[in-house]
Amino acid sequence: MSNSLVLAPAPRSEAAEQVRAEVREFLAAELAAGTFRTHVDTWLSGVDPSFSRRLGERGWLGMTWPKQYGGHERSAMERYAVTEELLAAGAPVAAHWIADRQSGPNLLRYGTEKQREEILPRIARGECYFVIGMSEPDSGSDLASIRTRASRDESGDWVVNGAKVWTSNAHASHYGIVLVRTSPADPSNRHAGLSQLLVDLSLPGITVNPIRILDGGHHFNEVVFEDVVVPGDMLLGTEGDGWHQVTAELAFERSGPERFLSTYPLIAEFGRRVADTGDAAQLAALGRLSARALALRQMSLRIAAALDRGELPNIPAALVKDVGTTFEADVIDEIRRVVDVTPSLDSPDPLARALAEAQLHQPGFTLRGGTNEILRGIVARGLGLR
Amino acid sequence: MASDQDLVVETVRDILGGFEPFVLTADRRWDSGLWSALASAGLTGVGLPESAGGSGGELADAVAIVRTLAAGAAAVPVAEQLLVAGPAVVAAGLPLPSVEEPLTFAVADSVSAAPAGEGSTLSGTALDVPWAGVARHAALLLPGPALALVDLSGVTAGSAYNLAGEPRGSLTLDGVPALVQPLTEGQAQELRAGFALARSVQLAAALERVLDWTVQYAGERHQFGRPLGKFQAIQMELAEMAGEVVAVTALVDAAVQALGRGSSDVVLAAAAAKVRAGAAVEVVARLAHQVHGAIGFTQEHKLHHLTRRLWSWRDEAGTELVWSRVLATGLLADGGDGLWPALTRVV
Repeated sequence: MSNSLVLAPAPRSEAAEQVRAEVREFLAAELAAGTFRTHVDTWLSGVDPSFSRRLGERGWLGMTWPKQYGGHERSAMERYAVTEELLAAGAPVAAHWIADRQSGPNLLRYGTEKQREEILPRIARGECYFVIGMSEPDSGSDLASIRTRASRDESGDWVVNGAKVWTSNAHASHYGIVLVRTSPADPSNRHAGLSQLLVDLSLPGITVNPIRILDGGHHFNEVVFEDVVVPGDMLLGTEGDGWHQVTAELAFERSGPERFLSTYPLIAEFGRRVADTGDAAQLAALGRLSARALALRQMSLRIAAALDRGELPNIPAALVKDVGTTFEADVIDEIRRVVDVTPSLDSPDPLARALAEAQLHQPGFTLRGGTNEILRGIVARGLGLR
Repeated sequence: MASDQDLVVETVRDILGGFEPFVLTADRRWDSGLWSALASAGLTGVGLPESAGGSGGELADAVAIVRTLAAGAAAVPVAEQLLVAGPAVVAAGLPLPSVEEPLTFAVADSVSAAPAGEGSTLSGTALDVPWAGVARHAALLLPGPALALVDLSGVTAGSAYNLAGEPRGSLTLDGVPALVQPLTEGQAQELRAGFALARSVQLAAALERVLDWTVQYAGERHQFGRPLGKFQAIQMELAEMAGEVVAVTALVDAAVQALGRGSSDVVLAAAAAKVRAGAAVEVVARLAHQVHGAIGFTQEHKLHHLTRRLWSWRDEAGTELVWSRVLATGLLADGGDGLWPALTRVV
């Protein structure tokens, strides 16, 4: 098989198992104290700044970053264990998720010293949240077609006009890393002329309009920029290099355990049901789902190990996200075929509630962060077909 | 990716180069020439201790040999000998037969042992015995449980074959002398799991090779003036196949590592590997045939050598249904709340 798709097996990490045990203990105490209730897909929907700050206090945000920026210089394998435990418990991690996962690493890679010193320690404390400014009303999978523009004014500041959509939790976030066109579109090189700006979401001229998803929840927004003046020193990285930077960011966005564990709380509820019934068909279904989950863990762990080696495994990350998000959706179908349960958000039965939450969130799994069709195109390139 | 196994893999590939896969029939049930070549090179004893008459080497070496032969659709009982029967015989303290003669393994639920003089005799019928009629010796897992080592010369083998034409006949045992060693229930289950893991290793290798063949074919076959692989519809199918192959490889590798370090969860790791590999066959074999078109549906093209083995191996050594229940039951051993801790512990 093509080498671009294959990663070396992940080494076993004692440090990761140790921090895993600590997180498990912390989560058990939080659940016992009633600070949160388990839900499906909480990395999109579970906004709880106080919970995020408690994670920050324990050193579980910005884990892999240098200490000088408030990080903890731990391995990607340790971070993997922490994020996996939080997701499996359905903990409310949405407030800080994007900032910790990709905005921080993006700043570390491309930010100025001033940007890093000002922002990274706040992210690591669980106090500063980010949105992704990529998709637009007319640009989804075809990201290079974005029209949000930024032009320099006479004082060297950026004047931004346009709109971004699906910006998760923009109403509860502080900054966005916004992909903008900084020079006119060049038909011969569609990826040229794009740049990333670090935008304070409280600036005048920014309007955040809610977009409700299927269960009525408010996570998505449209963020409209009308002559927003962004200080000149808030360019992230290099002018015109935005496409390249976005690609690097996507390796972080696409590779984590949230790409196969969004519906794990449903599996957990199903597992409790099967432990009670001992039903043969349910056992077989749980076995099939578990085998897929175990394979995805190994794939995802290999990516964490590659990140620890300093690699940016874009193609394997696209592949894992394709397989993982397909699994997240299949979980619902496998389970509903073998339980006599009607999904309902307000049922007294936790399995019925989890099925309902998962079903209403399901269309997003294989869209967000790059549709599975786009991901398979990337995998096809890895196979040498493009 | 370089590894310690590169040399052994290269040796097997060199030998394999002289033996093209062929359509197995009742008259030509295995590749005896390939077996002889492998045996002469000492490759049929790899991973088995020299003190017991093996060639020495690590589990990883034996796995690498099995992978290479499986990807080449080699009709020889090497997986059974190196990964299942050989290690079981050695672990039970029974004398390992000459590694130059094929040794197979089967779960023989309808065979019983009776003491006879200093040894035992076996009676009953062993069903679905890999390479029945080809193997010279068999290690049989008997109810009890116990492991029996039996010389098959003179034993009648039934003629039954899997979907790839590999012998899977029965052995009728009527007071046949054997060496028998009792096992614990745990050892018996680990033996069944080892058999399932051996098939999983073969499945992983064959799945990967089928993907390679299909990608290659999509690059060579032109329709509408361009290679198939340039069509998005075909690219989506090949990418889906790749996803399955990468998933299986990752889990099978992890299960082999669990076996290698003597993990107490090796049964669950093997169960998961077998279930995952079997599930991948559904997607990979179907799409491989779809992309190859009609020629892949004939014996003139090589594809069937591996797809028919994939369809066979996925339900051998315990079906997907059996292992999925074993896996779920084991993961729930500490109750419903124990599921997540178990999932993060198994591999």
